[in-house]
Amino acid sequence: MNQDEQIRRQRLVFYQNDIDRLDKLLDEFLRLSKAKCALLIDKDGHMITRKGFTGTFDMDTISALVAGSFAATKEMARLLGEEEFSVLFHQGVKDNIQLSLVGERTLLSIIFDDRTTVGMVRLYANELANKLAGVLKDLSQRQKPESAPQIDKGFGEAAKTNLDDVFGS
Amino acid sequence: MVQINFARREVNCKIVYYGPGLSGKTTNLEMVHQKAPPTARGQLTSIATEGDRTLFFDFLPLDIGEVAGMRTKFQLYTVPGQTYYNSTRKLVLQGVDGIVFVADSNPERRQENLESFGNLEINLKELNLDLKGTPWVIQFNKRDLPAAMPASLMNQELNKAGVPTFEAVAYKGDGVLPTLKAISAMVLEKLNRDYAPSRERLGSVRAGDTGVRAASPVPGPAAPLSGVSSGVATGYASAVAPAGATPARGTASGVGAMAAAPGYGGVGMGAAAPAPAPATAMSAYAGAPAGYPAAAGAQPQAPPFAAPPASVPEPVQAGPAAAAPAGAVRPGAQVPSVRPVDPFAPIAPATPVPLPAAAPSTAPAAAPDRGRNAGVGTYGQAGGYPASGAQGLPRGPFSPNPLPNPVLVRPTPRMQPAPVQRGFPVTLVIVGVGVLLGAVLLVVLLLLNR
Repeated sequence: MNQDEQIRRQRLVFYQNDIDRLDKLLDEFLRLSKAKCALLIDKDGHMITRKGFTGTFDMDTISALVAGSFAATKEMARLLGEEEFSVLFHQGVKDNIQLSLVGERTLLSIIFDDRTTVGMVRLYANELANKLAGVLKDLSQRQKPESAPQIDKGFGEAAKTNLDDVFGS
Repeated sequence: MVQINFARREVNCKIVYYGPGLSGKTTNLEMVHQKAPPTARGQLTSIATEGDRTLFFDFLPLDIGEVAGMRTKFQLYTVPGQTYYNSTRKLVLQGVDGIVFVADSNPERRQENLESFGNLEINLKELNLDLKGTPWVIQFNKRDLPAAMPASLMNQELNKAGVPTFEAVAYKGDGVLPTLKAISAMVLEKLNRDYAPSRERLGSVRAGDTGVRAASPVPGPAAPLSGVSSGVATGYASAVAPAGATPARGTASGVGAMAAAPGYGGVGMGAAAPAPAPATAMSAYAGAPAGYPAAAGAQPQAPPFAAPPASVPEPVQAGPAAAAPAGAVRPGAQVPSVRPVDPFAPIAPATPVPLPAAAPSTAPAAAPDRGRNAGVGTYGQAGGYPASGAQGLPRGPFSPNPLPNPVLVRPTPRMQPAPVQRGFPVTLVIVGVGVLLGAVLLVVLLLLNR
C-alpha cells in the first residue's frame, strides 16, 4: 500500500449519522455526570463533535492544545515504559478538564465545574469512552453509505477563489 | 491528516512550518495573524519559553470560508526549531497535511538548514510519511540580510525535488502570505485528487501536471537547476502568487527572477536592516548538542506534486461567502455555543474581507526575529500548563463504587449546594426539633424550680 492509499484509508470522514450516534452518547453522559461540556477530538487536533455549554471558549485552540498535551504525555509514558497514559486531568479553581483516550486515535475532553465531582465524571467518562470506542470502531469498518454526501469534484478549483479572498490575488 | 466532517460541513487541514531555530517560523505565523482578514483568523497561541523561543508549538487557526459547501479551515503550527526539542517537533508533525520549510538565508546558518531538512525527512519517515506524498514548499527567509546566500544556492541544496519556492522577509511580512497561499492550494488540490481518485480530474489539474513534468527535467548543475526552479515556480506563481499587489519578493522569484539573479544583491535589500539573529543567540545555537542526525542530503526525486494549474489567475470574486449577512459569526469561533441544542446548525458564512494591497508592516525594526506580542495566547509566556496540585486528586484510576467519593474533591464554597440539597431539610428538621425540645425542657425545669 503506497502512502497516498494509506492516507486515504486513514482519513477521517464523518457523516451526519456518525455524528448523531456520537452525540447521543455525549448527551447521555452530560445528563448523568452533570459535566459542562464534552468534546471529541482526533489526535491531530481537529474537533469531531461537541455537546454541552462551551461558552466563549475557542474550541479550535482547545482542541489543538488537548491533542498536543496528549501527544506529549504519550511520549512521557513511552519514556517511562508505559504504553500510554489513558487519562489526564487538569484541575482549575473553577473549571477542570479531564482528557481520556478513546480507541486509538480519538480523545474525549470533558470540561466540568463544581456542580459535579471528579469521581462522578471519571466514572461515567470511563463508560462513555468504552462506548465511543465501539462506535468509532464501527465507523472505521463501515462501508461508505451509498447516499453519502461527497466533496464536490470542483473543490480544489473553488478553493482558489477563497484563497484569493483571504490572501490576496 | 485531513478531517472531513459532513455533519459540521467542515474540512480541517494541518499545515506545519518547519525549519531550523530562529529561521522565522513563528514570525511567519505572527505576520499571517497580522495580515489575514479578521474574519479568517483565529487566536494565535504560543507555547514558548521565557526567552520567547518556541517550546512546543505556535498555533493559529485560519478559516478561508465556505468552499463548495464545506467550511474549510487550516490549522497552522510551527515546530520548535532548536535541536534539543526534536521529540516535540515530531509530535507536532504528526498528522501533517502540508509543510512549509522555512530556511534561513544567513550564510552562517547554511549547515543548520541542511540539518533541519534532514531531520524533517527522518521525522516524517518515523511517522510513515515522506516528502513525496506530502505537499510542501520552501521559503527562503531573511532575504534582506546584506550577506544573504544566493537563492539559487539555497535552492540547489534544499530543493532537489523542485517544489515551489518563495523568498521572504518575514518580519516585514514580505512573502509570508504567498507562501501560505501556495501550500494551502496544494493541500486542497491534493485533497481534491485523493478524495475522488477514480473520477476524472479537472482540466486545470491535468494541465498543471503536464506543466510540471515538462518543466522538470532531472536537475543538473547550477544553471539548469535554477531553470527548473523557475519553471516550477512560474507555473505555480501565475496561479497563486500576487502579481505585484504586495511587495513580496517570493513573487519576484516565482516569475523568473530566481533564474536570473544568482546573488540577489539588487532586490531591494536594506543595507541598514538589522541582522535578524542576534550573535549571542546564534552562538548559543551553534554550541547546542548536535541532536540532528547529519543531513544525508535529499536524493533527487521526481516532482512530488503536480503543480497547480498554470492558468491565469481568476479575478477576485466575491465567492459564495459574499452573500453572508454582515455581522456573521467569526469563523474561528465555530458554532456559537450558546445554542447547545443544535450546535451543528449551518453556520452563516462570514463576509470575506479582501486583503489590503501592500499592507505596511508594523513589526518593529529593532526586533526582527521575534515580534511576538504580549497576550498572543493564554499559554503565551507560561511555558506550559499551570501546575495542578496533587491535592484533591483521586489516588486510584476509577472507583468501583458507583457513588462518587466526595472526599476526593477539595470542597469549594460553590460545591456546598450539592450535598446540602440532599441533606438540608432532614438535618434542619432534626436540629430544629432538638433545639425546641431542649428549650421546652429548660423552661419546664425552670418553672419547676420556682
